[in-house]
Amino acid sequence: MTSTSASLRSLGRTGWSTLLNLLLYIWLPVGLLLLWVAGSAGSRSPFFPPLTKILIQLESLWSDGTIPEQLVYSLSSLGMGYGAAALIGLIGGVALWWFPAADRAARPLLFFLYALPAIAVLPALIAIFGTGQPRQVAFIALGALWPTLFNTMDGLRSVDSVKLDTATAMHLSRWQTQKWVVFPAALPQIVAGLRASLQIAIILMIVSELVGSDRGIGYFILQSQSNFAITNMWTGILVLAMLGLVLNVVFVLIESRVLRWHYRSRALERTR
Amino acid sequence: MLTVVGFLIVWQVVTIVGLLRADQLPPVTDVVSSLIVSLGQPTVWLAVGRTILTLVIGFVVTSVLGIILGVLLGLSVPARKSATVVLETFKAVPAIAVLPLAILMLGSTPAMSVFLIFFAAFWPLTIQVIYGVRSIDPTSLDAARSLGTGGVRTFLVVIIPSASPYIVTGLRIAGISALSLTVIGEMVGGAPGLGREILIARNNGLVMLPTMFAYIVIAGVIGVGLLLLLGYLEKKVMFWHESQRSLARPVDLR
Repeated sequence: MTSTSASLRSLGRTGWSTLLNLLLYIWLPVGLLLLWVAGSAGSRSPFFPPLTKILIQLESLWSDGTIPEQLVYSLSSLGMGYGAAALIGLIGGVALWWFPAADRAARPLLFFLYALPAIAVLPALIAIFGTGQPRQVAFIALGALWPTLFNTMDGLRSVDSVKLDTATAMHLSRWQTQKWVVFPAALPQIVAGLRASLQIAIILMIVSELVGSDRGIGYFILQSQSNFAITNMWTGILVLAMLGLVLNVVFVLIESRVLRWHYRSRALERTR
Repeated sequence: MLTVVGFLIVWQVVTIVGLLRADQLPPVTDVVSSLIVSLGQPTVWLAVGRTILTLVIGFVVTSVLGIILGVLLGLSVPARKSATVVLETFKAVPAIAVLPLAILMLGSTPAMSVFLIFFAAFWPLTIQVIYGVRSIDPTSLDAARSLGTGGVRTFLVVIIPSASPYIVTGLRIAGISALSLTVIGEMVGGAPGLGREILIARNNGLVMLPTMFAYIVIAGVIGVGLLLLLGYLEKKVMFWHESQRSLARPVDLR
């Protein structure tokens, strides 16, 4: 009996501290949002329309199909571009790790292409591919593949030598060693690379729509801006902000599933 | 080096055979001669100078503010918890989406580029600095306190060096994104600099196409220079930390 009430009491206490903790995390974002609503309420500034007005506009542009149409186009460029970047990065990273001679030979060229700001290549890609979607996909892929490529290569290379020795001592074949030791050990770093690639791909998707394009959310924002349709511009900005947030959250959810074993073992190590 | 030569040869062959027309991809030889010609002109040097100046200003402003805020938030648990959601949200928002707004408010100026750089690089850097401060052994902070070391001195002598592996990584990431934002601000936003020259060359048609490619090569050289400089500084600053670095350095390549 006493133990039950004690545990109830401790449950109450943890409940309170969880609630306090939650409040600590959300008071500032909620406060800033309220500040935006209140501060912009009667706004006559041409650049900062009331947030409520932006949201109403967003609703109507969403239901009349304007924004979904642009969004679908943007997402299809992003999907193809990021897919290509991830694939090329993974395959290229594995290939360069497997053939160190190729890595040494290709290093200067890869380094130059990596260091070259992706945006600078865009006019060249427009010249080569024209202004359609293939150019956008090529642009996103070319700019976003580097973190995945380098992280894959580094991750595979920097596997703890003790683990490799253990594999040898256990008489694992070369293929078994790759499958059970090298790839799992490299996975966290590869996933970090894929995440960085995604962030770059989102930015490049927008950039590719700002230059020499006539579709997509980025184009919509720029077009609204040059027509002085400021509320429309803000709706586009909000859509892109939400897109960035949602894709990040989705990635983190997938990551925490795929790497669950990794986080668990890390947490175990910390408690030791 | 062999692959570079091979790459250039393939490029040349592709253009000569006619796989890609001259209005798509000019031959290497044309690009090289345009490069040599344009390097003799003051326009290019002026544009490069402006690009680098914008880059440096944006980078310094972002770094100073990011490090100060990151340290303050890192030292206080409630402050850090309060700021986490805001920082992570802004980090996930693609900075480039506010470009049209920045052009409206600041015009096609270097200030607009600096704002873009800040908006893109500030959040990830601050988060990185917070990680760095949290990784500090509390004993060294307590020691500083019990020795009566003042706030500024603790900041410079204890906090910054102890958190430096994370800070340096954050600065490297900030530097790389600062360069691309600078060029984006010039190319899309019309701020003066190399990016705008690339666009102007593109709009002047076929005659200027080799020049445009030459400018792109120059942009690549700036990028290589920046990466080498950041790598060099990292080695210089972190030499004493080398042994710990492989353990302490977070995996994040951007």
